[in-house]
Amino acid sequence: MSDEETTHFGYKDVKREEKAGMVADVFHSVAARYDLMNDLMSGGIHRIWKRFTIELSGVRKGNAVLDIAGGTGDLAAKFSDIVGTEGRVVLADINDSMLKVGRDKLIDSGRQGNIEYIQADAQYLPFPDNSFDCVTIAFGLRNVTDKDTALQSMLRVLKPGGRLLVLEFSKPTNELMSKAYDAYSFNILPRIGKLVTNDADSYQYLAESIRKHPNQESLKDMMEEAGFSRCEFHNLTGGIVALHKGIKA
Amino acid sequence: MATPIDPVVHTAALAALEAALNQALTLAPEGRDELATLADSVFALQCTKPEFHVYLQPTEQGIRLMGVHDGDVTTSVRGEASDFTELASSSDPAATLINGKLELRGDSGALIHLQKILSNLDVDWEAPLVSTLGDVAGHQLAELLRGAFSWGKQASESLARQINEFIHEEARLSPPTLELEDYYRDVQDLVMRVERLASRTQRLRKRLQTRKS
Repeated sequence: MSDEETTHFGYKDVKREEKAGMVADVFHSVAARYDLMNDLMSGGIHRIWKRFTIELSGVRKGNAVLDIAGGTGDLAAKFSDIVGTEGRVVLADINDSMLKVGRDKLIDSGRQGNIEYIQADAQYLPFPDNSFDCVTIAFGLRNVTDKDTALQSMLRVLKPGGRLLVLEFSKPTNELMSKAYDAYSFNILPRIGKLVTNDADSYQYLAESIRKHPNQESLKDMMEEAGFSRCEFHNLTGGIVALHKGIKA
Repeated sequence: MATPIDPVVHTAALAALEAALNQALTLAPEGRDELATLADSVFALQCTKPEFHVYLQPTEQGIRLMGVHDGDVTTSVRGEASDFTELASSSDPAATLINGKLELRGDSGALIHLQKILSNLDVDWEAPLVSTLGDVAGHQLAELLRGAFSWGKQASESLARQINEFIHEEARLSPPTLELEDYYRDVQDLVMRVERLASRTQRLRKRLQTRKS
């Protein structure tokens, strides 16, 4: 198989058209216990990372926000409170199991009226040009088959002056931390996954997909190539996670 | 561009503080309603010693604390922690802002309004205690707390009043506020008269010089 026909799924090379289905299987398997796993894996710090993302989003009352790969709706819930009744939040996810969990959670918390739920592929967003003030994708970009196409699609749906925020696992800045993090994610993480969701393979994929994801500088370059301006990133928790921001000029 | 300090610690501290503030606000529903009137305002508080900055935004749900805010700021205040404490506990925030060391930019009215709402929070201790301890024990403990807090508040107000009276009336260490204000007004009046006289003399001097030449 040539490079053009394949992409990576964790450490494996797979056909491009197969990756979306394989990623979908991973998330169908973990959807029900996704929130619990996130808390266990990160010690609850993922909430702080998401909170910082919301601060940096600059979203205010009346804005339109698209949360791609919104999963169980953590960001969408906060955005719904901020934009108020005049605003609009779209929670999009390619995976219907995740979308259902997110929708139920948000409705149960009393948030409705300004949230829409859409099953959509980040590469081919089904929205008109210049629709959103802010687009966010948290822990989703690494699962997308063609990241460049997805970034261009996000740029298209953003209004001029709108901002994209990509929260994603990245490369630890400290060598010692990097080793400890490797030991944790390849030895402990799949075991927690096995215990909680009875699915060690999905969490093995998680650890591998993080290593295959572009590092801070590469992702920043990709955003610039896609056409974003004033691109920057913030390392969080020593670079285990990075938050990238780009503006549509 | 990477930021030199990991913002996670800052964000986590703000999240904890925000949760505590909002917990207190759920026990003071009137205060929360009043805060909602300031819902479109953002206050930037910059503490120089110890160094810490926070953006405070009242919302309909309570208070939102942010480490980063990319937008308009209603009021920006800068100073040391002790200056902020002085403002928070002041019974006359306008005077504290004028006479204190805090640097203020923007709308002082909104800040004074916020300070008054927060300092007048009437926290209802009974609701959480009753739900945890039951009606009888919860009510009794709440009464005890209410009594202790209201005694503390009354005692501190009474002490402040007595000290005030002692300084102004008994020891005559400082003139009362009204007398001081009268004095400042007279001084201001005198300054204006002197300025008017100075400009008149200057005008006359010019006229004399033109006649001589």
